[in-house]
Amino acid sequence: MVEPIFDYQFRLILIGDSTVGKSSLLKYFTDGKFAELSDPTVGVDFFARLIEVKDGCRIKLQLWDTAGQERFRSITKSYYRNSVGALLVYDICNRASFEHIPLWMMEAKRHIEPHRPVFALVGCKLDLANSSNRREVSLEEARAFAEQNGLHHVETSAKSGVNVEDAFRLVTQEVYGRIQTGEYKVEDGWDGIKTGFQRPGGLDFNLIEAEPAKSTCC
Amino acid sequence: MDTIGDNFTNSDAKVSFWKKNTKAVPGRPSPTNNPRESRQKNPMSSTSFQDFQESVNDAWDVGDDEFCMVSDVKISRKVARSAALSVINSHQHTSSVPQQFSISEEKKIEAMQSLAAGRAPSTFLIQCESEVQNPRSPVAHRQYPGKPHMYRGATLMDKSSTVGKDSADSEMSKLEKFQPLLETSLLNLEDLRQLSWSGVPIRVRPVTWRLLSGYLPASLERRQQVLVRKRMDYCNLVKQYYDTERDEAYQETYRQIHIDIPRMSPLIALFQQKTVQEMFERILFIWAIRHPASGYVQGMNDLVTPFYIVFLQEVMPDGIDFDNYDVSSLSKEQRDIIESDSFWCLAKFLDGIQDNYIFAQLGIQHKVNQLKELIQRIDGPLHQHLQNHGVDYLQFSFRWMNNLLTRELPLRCTIRLWDTYLAESDGFASFQLYVCAAFLLNWRRELLLERDFQGLMLMLQNLPTHNWSDSEISMLVAEAYRLKFTFADAPNHLQTTKRGLRLLSSSAELRFILSTSMGT
Repeated sequence: MVEPIFDYQFRLILIGDSTVGKSSLLKYFTDGKFAELSDPTVGVDFFARLIEVKDGCRIKLQLWDTAGQERFRSITKSYYRNSVGALLVYDICNRASFEHIPLWMMEAKRHIEPHRPVFALVGCKLDLANSSNRREVSLEEARAFAEQNGLHHVETSAKSGVNVEDAFRLVTQEVYGRIQTGEYKVEDGWDGIKTGFQRPGGLDFNLIEAEPAKSTCC
Repeated sequence: MDTIGDNFTNSDAKVSFWKKNTKAVPGRPSPTNNPRESRQKNPMSSTSFQDFQESVNDAWDVGDDEFCMVSDVKISRKVARSAALSVINSHQHTSSVPQQFSISEEKKIEAMQSLAAGRAPSTFLIQCESEVQNPRSPVAHRQYPGKPHMYRGATLMDKSSTVGKDSADSEMSKLEKFQPLLETSLLNLEDLRQLSWSGVPIRVRPVTWRLLSGYLPASLERRQQVLVRKRMDYCNLVKQYYDTERDEAYQETYRQIHIDIPRMSPLIALFQQKTVQEMFERILFIWAIRHPASGYVQGMNDLVTPFYIVFLQEVMPDGIDFDNYDVSSLSKEQRDIIESDSFWCLAKFLDGIQDNYIFAQLGIQHKVNQLKELIQRIDGPLHQHLQNHGVDYLQFSFRWMNNLLTRELPLRCTIRLWDTYLAESDGFASFQLYVCAAFLLNWRRELLLERDFQGLMLMLQNLPTHNWSDSEISMLVAEAYRLKFTFADAPNHLQTTKRGLRLLSSSAELRFILSTSMGT
């Protein structure tokens, strides 16, 4: 595999109830394809894609797709620590999956600590909600919850592809923003954010800050 | 990455717990072999096996009964021979430079072959497709993690790997050995295990699996009676727990199964049939409520599949692909038999690995750590390569263990693998670890070429097995057998594992795990 040049690498995790559409969302995002059916995820799966943020900086996203079933929780838990962001995924046509979002968020916060993760609330199966009128979670309600908790929110369809890109882009852009403001730093022993082969010009100050011992010479 | 499991090993990592015995032990690679040298070689390569074979030559002595009793692996010589022969044989075919075999080596092989005058027919005829080792065209068509592979030909006869006549001959001669055994009034299960280990002919597979899993009794005359009773029992369970109003406590279990089953194996048409899905749902639901410590775990449907297919093929007309077969065209009685027999065999099968599915899946975490220890021991460079790029064993081998490799292999190969799993006399729980190790080592060359975490992970999640056939599975289990044979009886191994576990906790649950996983 040829390694594309990238400036940063972010690790994100997708969490949410079983069958809400996490794997389909990732499949569309990384390969532009949709499958009507897919086997339940067992444990954790890995995906990757390169995207560009607004100023042209290239970000390599490493994405963990997690199994929704409770029984796998002890396994999926270990993937939080090295994530900088989380997509909280629910099914627009499944009320319970939305009601569980606060639990998922709490779990993510707890395990990503001491880092403060970037969250996006992502509704799936918008096509189904529109076409067969099966919506169980209103846009307003989801938006209100997101605002209250300071989350991005987006409704997507992995079938038509609508907003799928946005869901990941929103999180990526914010992580990138937090690097620029200095909130996030590249740290040894943490895989949430890493630098790529080429450091972006003018953005190195955070990296230097993160390594004060080395910058004291000369 | 921090995993619970890491705690198992940290304290032990510094102490070398693998026995460094300089005394010659029959069957253990002789200490005169430079371990560093042999470790660098591909364990699947012919040289490595030749070395191994040379070093353990003393184990093949006829009448060396004492050895068989001493070893805690309980290898029968017959199995050992057929495994060894299948490795040799397939290496002869896969080796790109067969001339590498020196004359003396060839003589040795001949000698071993004549030694096994009992001839294990199918293993003699193993032929490997040369394209198997083909460097994968780097992610030519993208695969997805856990995506079930399309398989060539829905019938399980392997048309491609063995040339027609030979394969048919071998199947026939194997059948000739099975039939008298299956018809003896009191079956010698040990004989059946030995015979089945290297693969069961399709025609006798259903009955053989019922016997190996412990569902059918050894006594020929009691078998029919047991079948009738067990099938009725299952029928009653369904009536009692499934057909009537379900207990509130089981609602969540039912809900999860009910949303998972319709989306299983999307590429196999058979599983899209409503009738088939309902049968799976009942099997899994009844199993789950009867095993509350584990309950239903996603992926378990993959463990029902081999039994289901084998029992389905038993009643299907010959020469028809099961993939497009309309199961509802079978009589209710026939369907009930498939369902109840799948249920009972699954139940027996899962008995040995229940710790995989209990809270925190401790059985799997334990096995993942054992895998790590094993690879570290067997193939330092590969282990180091994975470590250097931050690949954790849990990240790729969890699914291997949870689904017993079913998601990594085409269905026809899973069924062949099940022959060996079911034939493992001490249950396959410990053996599966070695199968996973052999599976990982099989890809070492490709893995070592990957230069970063991403490349490694994507590859490990999509190992190109879609062209695999029975012969690759025979190779895989023979290699697994060799690994177990070499490493499992390292005397200090058991102690260390116990010590590691004690560090983690001393809860009753762990003691339970210890007793089940160490009970062999």
